Amino acid sequence: MTVLHVERLGGLPAIGTPRSPLRSCGEIALSELSQADRAAIEELFRNPPRAAASAVRDAFRYRISREGASGAETVEVPESAVPSPVAACVKDTFV
Amino acid sequence: MICTCSIVPPKVLRRFARDRRLPAKTRKAFANAIEYEAQWRMLRSMHTELSAASSALARGAPVPEPKVTVFDSKHGTTLPGVPVASPGSDATSKRAFAETAAVASFYEQLFGRNSVDDAGKTLMSSVHFSVRYNNAFWNGTQMVYGDGDGNIFLDFTKASDVIGHELTHGVTQFSAQLEYSDEPGGLNESVSDVFGSMFKQWRREETVDKADWLIGKEIIGRGAKARGFECLRDMSNPAARHCLAPQPTHYSDFRAGMDPHESSGIPNLAFYNTAVAIGGYSWEKAGKIWYEALTGFGPQPNMTMKAFAQRTRSVAKTLFRRDASTASAVDRAWKSVGL
Repeated sequence: MTVLHVERLGGLPAIGTPRSPLRSCGEIALSELSQADRAAIEELFRNPPRAAASAVRDAFRYRISREGASGAETVEVPESAVPSPVAACVKDTFV
Repeated sequence: MICTCSIVPPKVLRRFARDRRLPAKTRKAFANAIEYEAQWRMLRSMHTELSAASSALARGAPVPEPKVTVFDSKHGTTLPGVPVASPGSDATSKRAFAETAAVASFYEQLFGRNSVDDAGKTLMSSVHFSVRYNNAFWNGTQMVYGDGDGNIFLDFTKASDVIGHELTHGVTQFSAQLEYSDEPGGLNESVSDVFGSMFKQWRREETVDKADWLIGKEIIGRGAKARGFECLRDMSNPAARHCLAPQPTHYSDFRAGMDPHESSGIPNLAFYNTAVAIGGYSWEKAGKIWYEALTGFGPQPNMTMKAFAQRTRSVAKTLFRRDASTASAVDRAWKSVGL
């Protein structure tokens, strides 16, 4: 079973930055996602959009990791590209 | 043939547009009148309505405030959501209407700016975005506000400086167009904090020594307060322990790839040091210098912090030619952060 490890970063509160006391993490099994969302995740790993290229300011970024056939893979993508169930799996906590 | 008989000669319009004794909006009207002058002369013989509009501008007629609209996302993520009638249906939408209109007035009255694009763009906000959403953002077209999780963060519309911050991202988008990574990213975030904080001070009629210089104080929830956190950022002490998003305070701590919300601490502290050294209200001198540096030179997407610092030094000398202490305050403030 493939599990996505998800970390939410940045935003106005700068969550997850080195000095921040806040972390926003979660995980979700790929099997819990709809076919469309699984396809969207696959596309993110194949062709990740650049967060800095977006016109959005103060948006979160998402770091998503999974164990693939060739080992661990990680992408960092803008919030707008992340399927809703994946974006919602994180919880903000104090370190 | 072009008729050149104008009621107010162009050189008089230009003199009034530069006259700092006149209110900003009046100077803006004269500047607009100069721009329209060439077209106005061509069309005058046709007796079009343009002549009347231009004359009105020359008299300093107030520019109508931009329209403010608010939408309710109803905890979804589709934008903009359902339209909310003014003045709002709940405390959140009422705040979004009132504070957005106030930010528009702030830019118009102090800097002669007509909305984020200086062309009357409608200011659109969506509230109640997503579920327990701990953020607010500008998406390139509009503002978006979350309700907070109620523990770490409260409703993001509760902080007027947050609303000013988001709208200023719009101003930057339509002026210097600063990129959102590395040094221009830090500057982009900083000017949003600078004008967000300045807006809050203006709303409260606070002088620099009375202002708290905290960003996001009103959105800090009980869970965060219980751990000693009081704000997102503190412009007077960016590294303070009471900040949920502490920042570096000196340029020597800047690193490529830093989140813009971190690196903005460096220029934030420079603005604070400038404003406090000058004294009075932050928007009177320091604000005017920062505004001109941001909006007066066209797009500068890759501007470095050093280049921005140099620009504010230069603008200070130009705007306050007879006041060497202001230029000196700007210079010392940047030097204090290593720039």
